[in-house]
Amino acid sequence: MYLPIAVRKQPQIDAAVAEVAALLAPDVVHIRYEIGQDWSGQGAIFFRVLLSDEAGKKRLREVATQVVRHLADRLDFPALEVFPYHNFRSASEQAVFREEAWA
Amino acid sequence: MAFADDLLKDAYHLAARGGKNPRQSSLRRAVSSAYYALFHLLIADFVLNWRRPDQRVRLGRMFEHRKMSQAVFKFPGATLTPVEAELKKVIAAFAQLQENRYTADYDFGSNWSRIDVTNALAIADEAFKAWRIIRKERIAQDHLLTMFGARRV
Repeated sequence: MYLPIAVRKQPQIDAAVAEVAALLAPDVVHIRYEIGQDWSGQGAIFFRVLLSDEAGKKRLREVATQVVRHLADRLDFPALEVFPYHNFRSASEQAVFREEAWA
Repeated sequence: MAFADDLLKDAYHLAARGGKNPRQSSLRRAVSSAYYALFHLLIADFVLNWRRPDQRVRLGRMFEHRKMSQAVFKFPGATLTPVEAELKKVIAAFAQLQENRYTADYDFGSNWSRIDVTNALAIADEAFKAWRIIRKERIAQDHLLTMFGARRV
C-alpha cells in the first residue's frame, strides 16, 4: 500500500496541531488526527476537532474556519500528499458518545 | 437551481429534527442531502451550456463523484483573485461534503454529532453563495469542465 509522505512527517504534524489547539484554546479543547485514505483512495488526513460547548453553540463557523485556516497555514498538505478533512463535535456531545477516536 | 435549493432546505429540515436528541438516521440523511445539494447545483449549471434542454438530464448523469472531487485546480499565483478565492471555497466544500456523505451513508462505526452536521450545512450554504457569485466566470465554468472529466490543455 502506498503511504503518503505525511506518515513520515508526524512529528511536524503533531507540532502544528498542538500549536493550533493552543492558539485557539479554550474554544478548541483538542485536535486528533489520522492519516489514511479518503473514500476515493486518495491520501487523506482526518482532523477531529473537539470544541468547547460554548464555541460549538455560539461561534461554530467562526472557530471551525479558524481551525481550518491555521492548520493550512502550518501544514503544506499537497507536499504531505494528503487532502485535509475536518470534523467537529462539542465536549458534551463527546461525553455522550464516548468515542475513543475523539478522546 | 430549484432542486439543489430544495435539497439544501431538506438537509436543514432533517438536521433540525429530533430536538435535543436527534436520530442518527436524520443527521446522516442531512449530511448526505447537503452534499447532493451542491452536487446538483454544479451539474445544473454545467448542463445549461448544452443547447438542447431535452438532453441535459442525460448529460448530467455522466458526472462521476470521484472525478468531480479529484478535479484539480492549480491556482496560478500566491495571491488569489476574489474569483479564485470563491472557487477555492467551493472546491474545498465539495471535497469535505463528499467525504462526509460517504461516511454518513456507509460508515456506521461512529456517531454524527449535531455540531458536525450544522457545520457541514453551513459549508454547503457558503459554497452555494460562493458559487452564485462566480458561476458565470470563465475559471468557474472551466473547473466544471474539469469536474466533468475533461483534461486540461
